[in-house]
Amino acid sequence: MGAVFSKIKDNLKEGIRENSENSLARKIAHGKNAKFIWIAVMAVLLTVPAYAGDYAINVMILMLFYMALGQMWNLLGGYAGLVSLGQQSFIGIGGYALAIVSEKYGLPAPLAFAVAAGVSVLFALVISIPIFKMQGVYFTIGTWIVSECLALWFSTWAWVHYAQGYNITVTYNLSAKQIYYVAFAVGIGSLAVVYFILRSKLGLALMAMRDNSAAAEVRGVELYRTKLKCFVISACVTGVAGAAIYLQQAFIQPSNAFGISWTVSMVFIVVIGGLGTVEGPIIGAVIYVLIRQFLYNFPGFSMVILGIIAIAIILLAPRGIMGLVQKWVSIDIFSVRRR
Amino acid sequence: MDEILRVENLSIAFGHNRVLNDLSFEVFENEVLGIIGPNGAGKTVLLNVLTGILKPDSGRIVYKGKDIAKTKIALRTRMGIGRTFQVPRSFEGMSVYENIMVGGVYGRLLSEKEAGAGADEILEHIGMAGRRGEIAGALGLLDRKRLEIGVALASKPDLLLIDEAAGGLTESEIANILEIVRGAKQKGVTVIWIEHVLQTMLEGTDRTLCIAEGRNVICGPPRMVMDSPEVHAVYLGTEEDE
Ligand SMILES: Nc1ncnc2c1ncn2[C@@H]1O[C@H](COP(=O)(O)OP(=O)(O)OP(=O)(O)O)[C@@H](O)[C@H]1O
Ligand SMILES: [Mg+2]
Repeated sequence: MGAVFSKIKDNLKEGIRENSENSLARKIAHGKNAKFIWIAVMAVLLTVPAYAGDYAINVMILMLFYMALGQMWNLLGGYAGLVSLGQQSFIGIGGYALAIVSEKYGLPAPLAFAVAAGVSVLFALVISIPIFKMQGVYFTIGTWIVSECLALWFSTWAWVHYAQGYNITVTYNLSAKQIYYVAFAVGIGSLAVVYFILRSKLGLALMAMRDNSAAAEVRGVELYRTKLKCFVISACVTGVAGAAIYLQQAFIQPSNAFGISWTVSMVFIVVIGGLGTVEGPIIGAVIYVLIRQFLYNFPGFSMVILGIIAIAIILLAPRGIMGLVQKWVSIDIFSVRRR
Repeated sequence: MDEILRVENLSIAFGHNRVLNDLSFEVFENEVLGIIGPNGAGKTVLLNVLTGILKPDSGRIVYKGKDIAKTKIALRTRMGIGRTFQVPRSFEGMSVYENIMVGGVYGRLLSEKEAGAGADEILEHIGMAGRRGEIAGALGLLDRKRLEIGVALASKPDLLLIDEAAGGLTESEIANILEIVRGAKQKGVTVIWIEHVLQTMLEGTDRTLCIAEGRNVICGPPRMVMDSPEVHAVYLGTEEDE
């Protein structure tokens, strides 16, 4: 694990160097152009339900959800140097927030999003106390163990219906279109969160940490605090995404909600798309969802294919697909550069 | 002259390798103190101890009258201790300008606006005006070394620690670095400058300290130190450095 990530880091650096040495880079998406692309993409996304069929809408929903999850994992793994395998803790917390608010208490579902955000933040703060004492691989394993404990606890907890879980009946009254707009809000919201973080003072520290965390500390960046901020923000948005995801799935159980496969997907998405870039998780999510849909009937097989792609990219393509693309054309749609 | 830094009986060992042995010396305000010594003498380890990356086994580091041995790395920077690394550690994915911003925003807690406003002056100082947009990862060695100093200067240090800025550079490039260090001194910065290039130490430092096996061998005017039998004994048998 550690070796793989240091390899990714090396690739990242190499890619950055190659990228900036590439004088042939044509600038297709800077400044004004970027604005047009932005507006066009938003217009397309907002009107998808008007012309797309249910299948396409559902694929888009998945892409938006996974993009949001990828963005949040990237904030940790790509910038803060926190390789988590336990983001499913927050998906589960978000999903259960929805189940409990709407099923158990019959309260309006939108309230669930606030509860999901709040409980995720609280849980992240509490769990950070022991988990931030662990470094590197131990942190990674620690986050995973926390999720496994949650799964176990929820399976034996009467208040949440043990391992049987909940049917989330509010979903029955929602159309695919309505859920699409929820997914749209979550997806674009996560993108906005990352974008504004990177443009802020915090972002300056994060980019420095991405490039060299030891040097960042010597330059005055307080690593612990910065990492904690990322951990909490990431937990919050992942929790909200979890509530939205289970609003679509209409059924929640501990084994699924707190399953590691959520985070494995996030890692695939970010590594394939490009670690430590804003665009990476978008590209990664699109590819991930497409491959999963094409190989829908062979779920095990699609994981193998994704695994092979991810490993190939780690070994061959610096900075994931985003890095590969940037070798040829200089795309900077989400410019977080300071000038 | 007032002293800005006093190092008292600093010792650190890695297993059986005793790298710093009761090292003591002081640095006066606004001087340039050169540090020379053979490879493995403990010069870089000393800087790592001064900046908090390594914890000493014993001894005191008194900076501006306070013992900072327990102060965290980032806070030492904010107290005015800036440094460069022997192997440059710039933020390779970020532009020259952004690298300097990190120094100001986090090393001195400036707002982005304030740090941005000071950036031009620093770029001027390090001879990289007009190159703010270049990506640090694509810079050549001289530029990386200059940028290191620039990022350190961005945090407005009172004490600047330089670890071999001239190593691997040509003579004219070294002159460039010398110019930058002189500029820093003129602005009131105190400098500790580690370097193997003795000529540069002669020209650029007010006093020179020679370290060997983590001990203070001799400290005084550069010429006197370099002509001293102690220093010759230290370098005898080791490679001839320039
Ligand atoms: N983190 C560490 N762990 C163990 N040993 C170390 C560590 N850092 C340095 N050393 C050892 O300490 C000794 C002094 O190293 P140091 O880097 O300070 O030398 P130096 O004086 O800077 O030499 P040079 O001129 O080659 O840069 C060496 O023997 C080195 O192997
Ligand atoms: Mg050294």
